[in-house]
Parts: sequence; structure tokens; C-alpha cells
Amino acid sequence: MKAFFRFLYEIIGNPQPPADTPVYRDVVFPNIGLLNIGLSLGLAVIFYLLINRAMGVATFNKGRHWGLFLGLNALLAFGIGIWQAHSQQVADHSYIYWLATWNAILSMAWFFIFSLLLRKASTNASTTPF
Amino acid sequence: MRYPTSLSSRLLPALGLALLLLPGCYSRSDMKEEGGKAGTMTDAILSDNPNTSSATPEMAATDQPLQRVNVLLEVSGSMEGFMPKTAADGGNTQFQQRVAQFLSDVNRTAAAKQKSFFLLKEKPYAESYGNLSTTVRAGIRQPAKSTELPAVLDTLMTRYYQPGTVNVLISDFIYSPKNAGAIPYIKTDITDALQRNGAQADLAVSVYGFTSDFRGTYYPALVATGKKTNCCDTDIPYYYWVIGPSDAVRQFDAALLTDETARQAHFGVVYPRPVYSVLDKFENKGSWYYGDAGASKRAADSYRVVAVSEASAQQPVEFVVGLDLQNLPAQYRELAYLQQNLQVQTVDTDAKLTGVTAATAQTKGSSGPQSRFTHFAKIRLTKVPPASRPLVLKLQNQRSAWVAQWTTKNDAVPAAKTFALSSLLDGLQASVGARPTVFELPLTLQPAR
Repeated sequence: MKAFFRFLYEIIGNPQPPADTPVYRDVVFPNIGLLNIGLSLGLAVIFYLLINRAMGVATFNKGRHWGLFLGLNALLAFGIGIWQAHSQQVADHSYIYWLATWNAILSMAWFFIFSLLLRKASTNASTTPF
Repeated sequence: MRYPTSLSSRLLPALGLALLLLPGCYSRSDMKEEGGKAGTMTDAILSDNPNTSSATPEMAATDQPLQRVNVLLEVSGSMEGFMPKTAADGGNTQFQQRVAQFLSDVNRTAAAKQKSFFLLKEKPYAESYGNLSTTVRAGIRQPAKSTELPAVLDTLMTRYYQPGTVNVLISDFIYSPKNAGAIPYIKTDITDALQRNGAQADLAVSVYGFTSDFRGTYYPALVATGKKTNCCDTDIPYYYWVIGPSDAVRQFDAALLTDETARQAHFGVVYPRPVYSVLDKFENKGSWYYGDAGASKRAADSYRVVAVSEASAQQPVEFVVGLDLQNLPAQYRELAYLQQNLQVQTVDTDAKLTGVTAATAQTKGSSGPQSRFTHFAKIRLTKVPPASRPLVLKLQNQRSAWVAQWTTKNDAVPAAKTFALSSLLDGLQASVGARPTVFELPLTLQPAR
């Protein structure tokens, strides 16, 4: 698990400053990785299963509504990245923001994947985003 | 619209999944132990002298008080000048001042259970603390004839050398062999006296040198040159020799002889390995991080493994090792001594010691881990180690320069020098176990994984 998240988050390079490498690898990456998956899954469930199935809302199933959730997802993922890094008291470095941005991008990918999996189970949004 | 009941039942799996994911989050405190060690190679470097600090416990265990301290004050004629009768102006000598204070410290200390005081004539005579202190202050009433140092040491070793006991010999250590032909054998005589049959494997001696003004008759070691009355304009040296088993001597030194102005030399004393750690946020440079297992744990307080991700001549890696040397004698804490004698020994890497510094007000006041340390050693390397490699930080045990400066071959003219001092200390050196290093601190260098 740790190795997977380490691979995923070191695509953008090694943690900086180097002294904080163990904290990032052992704590921050697994934390933001798991929170990220949970967040994207949660938002996809809300969009497809709650709003567009359980609640039966008929006017919130367009591509732009899906895009709104995608953006919200990215914003929250960015916040999670910064929050988790700071809560481990790592040294202040621009790397924290690069990591948070990368986390936001990854969260959009997760959201897209969960969208593909969940859309068929939705009544009103089974063809969103396409 | 559907009923709320069916709504919740549909959402339950998603909710359950989210709940399952949350506890999966890591924190620093639940890291598992993992990672390898360069143990065998470190052992190979360390095993040069298995008796030294590598075998001793990391921190000073709570020491039991010493069983007994014997203080022996030499009262031969040559000591009279240190302890003159009180002068008309009430002045005393530095010897009287210091030794009276020392006797009082010993008498009061909680570091030893029993304290005994002796006047050292041709053999030791037990005295009360009060009488000995009076002798120091008011002068020697009946000076003894010259006492032979080897005979004194021999008596000490046979009668007073006990576990948990130290013997403090206070004397000018002017050793005058009966005939001049014995002078080249001073070292041998001392060694013979201390180690008659090599039975005292843990024998240790700490020597403290002081100088004092001197008012009386000066008896040089070379008797033929004649004594000097109404001596002297210069200060004359005297010494404390603390003789006993290694542990007891170390404890006694730490408790009662902490004066940093004293010249000192230690023979055979084993010190516990000082607390040390690599510091990752103190004057660090280049691409490296703690390679210890569970390095992200906040609770860990010492790190010994350096994982290097990149290093080159242009971008060297520099890391600082913090050392807490406060339990070592002042001699080994002196910055100049450390700069000369602290060494890095390593295999397969180009790690070099680039400097030793002492703690400053800034490091002591900092909130980082550097506040715990008294000294810092900076190590630089320009190549990534090929695999896990040992690095050992060693403090060489060198005799300080003062011994040579205080040694003379001819003491006919009174001076702040002692006849054949370095030969005496050579004798001590030969009679105790060899301790080429004061401490050895193993670290590990490894490439980043």
C-alpha cells in the first residue's frame, strides 16, 4: 500500500526538502492517497446514487453539473494535501503546493474512474458525462 | 420520490466503505519496524578494541555511591613549602586553599559512603578529617623523610585497592630514586608497583595537575644539586592521582573533580558512550534523509542512519552529528582537543569530518533537537555509498600537551615543572588497559531506496 502511494506521489519527483522524505513516504502519501480515494468515491456516490437516483432530482444530471462536482472534488483534494502535510509539521516548502496540486489532479482521475463505474447504477445520470 | 427508508438502505454500502477507508490513514505513531542494518561491518570497525565504549552502556546508569574514598596527603619535607605555617599577614598558598576545599568536598560528598583520610609518611597513617585539614592549613608539624613513590603505590595497591574504592594521592610527585642509575627505569618502577601480577585488569588512574605558590625549602629530585631554602618565586606543581577501578575513578572524577582549569590526564578510565544523533534540520546540505526504521516517528530521539539520494562534488551531502559530551572529563570536551582528535573511520565511502563546533546560545535555545547536544561534528561526502556502509566517529585518546610542557629532566632550578613527569605517566599508561579511543559512535551510510 505504502509502496503504491509512494510510486503515485513521487511521479512529480522526490519530496522536498530531502530531510522530510521519511515523513512524506511513511505518513503523508498514504494519508492523502486514502483520503483522496474516499473523497472521490464519496462525491461520485452523492452525484450518481444520491442526487440522481435516491432523491430523483431530474435537473442535476448535465455535463456541467458533473463538472461542478469534478471541480469541487479537485478543490477539496488540494485542501486535503495542504492540511495533511501541515498536520505532520513538515518544513515549509513550495513542494507542499506542488504535492497538493498533484493530489487535485489525481482526485479528478479517481472521480472520473468512479464515474465510469457508478453511472450505470444511476437512473437519471447514466449517460453523464458521456 | 422514493421513501427515505429505501434511501438509507441504498446509501449504507457507500457509507460503510467510507468508514472502512478512514481508519486506513497512517500516523507517525503506528509505523512498523523495517529496514536493514550495516551491523556486521560496523562490528568489524569497532572490534579493534572490544573493551572500549562499544561494550559499555549507552547512558550512564544511575550510579551507586562509591564504597569508600581514601585521601592520602603526602607530608614529606618537600611538601612543607605548600603548607607553610600561617604567615604574619594571614596569607596562605593556593595549595592550602584548594586542598582544604577539596578535603571538605570529599568529607561532605554523598557520592561515597565512607571517607578516610591519611597522612602519608613512610606509610599511610589514618587521621581524622579535622586533623588532616588542620595540617593543610597550619602546616606540617613533623615532616616525614622522603617517601618513595613506588613503595607508596605498592602499599596502595596491596592494601587499599578495592572494588568501589578510590584512592586520592595528593603530592608533588617529585620522585627521586635513591641512585641516579634508577632514573631511566622510573616508568618500569611505576608499572611494577601498580601491577605486581597484572591482577588489576580494570585499574584506572586520573591525574590532575595544579600549580601553587611555595614558601619553604625545595628538594629537587636530583639530590646532588642540593636543596633550595627560601623557595620560590615561581609556582610549583602538585598533583592529585585518583587511583582505583575504572568505574569508581570515573564516578569520583565526575562528582568531585569537575574543575575545568585543572590540567588532566586519564589512564584506563572507560566512559559510557555519549548520547548522539544525526540531525536532519541543522546545517544540513544536499539530498539525504534519516534512513532509520520508523524515522518518521516523532518519539524517536536518536538517528543513526543516513540515506543519501544524490551526492556529487558540486552538490555534496553534509550532515551534522550532535554529541552530548557533558559526562566526559573537561579534557575531552575541550573544542581544540576534539578538533584534533575526533576522527571518522569508514569503508567504501569518501565521508570526511569537516569540522567540530561547540554548542552556542543559539543552538541551546533552539526548539529543535540540536538543543540537547554540547558539540556538533559535521561530515561531508561527495559520493553515494554503494550499499549500506558503516561510519564510525572516534575520539582518539591522546595525552595532552601540558604533560610535555610540565616535564623537566633537571629540576635543580625550581620551576613549574616536575622531574620526569612524562616517565611517571608512561608508567601509568603501561599499567592500565590500553584505551586508544575515548568513545566510538557507529553510524550507517546507505543509498536512498
